[in-house]
Amino acid sequence: MRSSNFSYLVKQGVVSVWHNRIMSFASFCILMVSLLLIGLAVLISLDISIVIGNIEDKNEILVFVDGDVPDSELSYITEILQSYNNEFVDRVVFRPKEEAWQMARDNPIYRDVKALFDAVGENPMPSTFVVTLWDITRINEAADIFRAIEGVEEIYAPYDFAEILITIRNTFSMIGIAILSALVVVCLVIIYNTARSSVFARRMQINIMKHVGATNAFIRIPFFIEGMFIGILAGAASWALTRVAYNSVVSVFTEDITILQIFGLANVIVFDDIMWLALAANCFAGAMLGAIGTIMSMGKHLKV
Amino acid sequence: MVELKNVDVYYKEGDVEALNDVNLRINDGEFVFIVGSSGAGKSTLLKLLTRERKPTNGRVFVNGYNLSKLREGKVPKFRRSIGMIFQDFRLIPNLTVYENVAFVLRVTDRSRRFIRQRVPYVLNLVRLSDKARAYPSQLSGGEQQRVAIARAFASDPGLIIADEPTGNIDPELSYEIVELLKDINKCGTTVLMVTHEHDLVKYFGGRIISLKKGSVDFDDYIGGNDG
Repeated sequence: MRSSNFSYLVKQGVVSVWHNRIMSFASFCILMVSLLLIGLAVLISLDISIVIGNIEDKNEILVFVDGDVPDSELSYITEILQSYNNEFVDRVVFRPKEEAWQMARDNPIYRDVKALFDAVGENPMPSTFVVTLWDITRINEAADIFRAIEGVEEIYAPYDFAEILITIRNTFSMIGIAILSALVVVCLVIIYNTARSSVFARRMQINIMKHVGATNAFIRIPFFIEGMFIGILAGAASWALTRVAYNSVVSVFTEDITILQIFGLANVIVFDDIMWLALAANCFAGAMLGAIGTIMSMGKHLKV
Repeated sequence: MVELKNVDVYYKEGDVEALNDVNLRINDGEFVFIVGSSGAGKSTLLKLLTRERKPTNGRVFVNGYNLSKLREGKVPKFRRSIGMIFQDFRLIPNLTVYENVAFVLRVTDRSRRFIRQRVPYVLNLVRLSDKARAYPSQLSGGEQQRVAIARAFASDPGLIIADEPTGNIDPELSYEIVELLKDINKCGTTVLMVTHEHDLVKYFGGRIISLKKGSVDFDDYIGGNDG
């Protein structure tokens, strides 16, 4: 195809947006709302994952060392614990018995019984390894392995807490995937039908093109460009709306210090950090949905 | 050249035949009227000639293409070798007269320079040079049909098929439309015109093919009154 004719078709595609402005506006609105909903759903599900991840980070296994083992001989336990880094261990922190004792003394829970600490005299606390897991689903396996290490006297693992977290994470993942899938399907159906109405309104034009010998590709190009153009505009508009909506929701939560402390919301996605990536993703998704929706809905009218 | 050999068309198995053992030959440069009442098979014949459908039996040749065996991918190229004129004009409403005519040349991938020369030429031929910038909705029925004729002739096809081109315009303008088609025919283009208007056929005369119940009922030349 000559470049002059190709540029003519591209121009026709853009001009068609205005000529068919009512259907263009309908397609624009449908695409914009679809992308807004999908964008918000993606951001919120990512945030939920981050928040759950933050809570999981607060989850620690305490490995108490046998009191008879001197601190100077504990390096082999550190090595064993750290050898599981690739499997489930995130970090290992050693807390000597003196520090553990001091922490207990300083704990405000025991402030009314401080005299008891003085009465005990000798430090009864064992040295402890505080182990954080990056894969909380393997907490039972980790506890069994740690318990079997020579020189380890006891283990404290928050099994119930871990189980709740796993359930919450799995449930949110499933709900997130279900909502996102349903949204994508509903959006595709609506976009397909809107595009079909738009194409149906111009079936005569397509019929004329077929009769004068236009190839299917030649007929599709302006529709493709038109769908893409509307999609990009809708992507940009939905990006702006997503930014406003998302920032408003996040600010409501981050302004509450209690929620912030519990859930670690300080680490959620900051929209402005991913602003340009989000704009590109929105415009790309809009262009693809618009173009593919239009092309798919043309099939029947091309059979002349 | 148009040739149909033992062509049968029926739309459903065991249904009444739309065309029944039709044999026709139209040589290059002829002007032929195709007449017949509703249901005679005129529309089916046109669909065969434009490759909108294939015959159930028999063979159809147009401009050297065997349409009975033509693959879908080759249909656009074949259609560029014919010009179509419709009763309802079928102009693209959001394009100007100039653009409607130029459109068919863009489809055939002609250069911008060729389009700039050819479109004014054919618009002048149908006496619509002054309406080049107008949109179809701003034209009368007769003018719209003249644009359609210009569009059909723009790519200089070997065959023009006109499907009741005078059906939607004032009777007095019908003669003007046929005159235009006659002028194009004089340039060597074969013209095949389907019509209901017997007065028009009698006036212009020439080769008449009459279809009746899916078969060729009459195929001969009659004298006209147009001198």
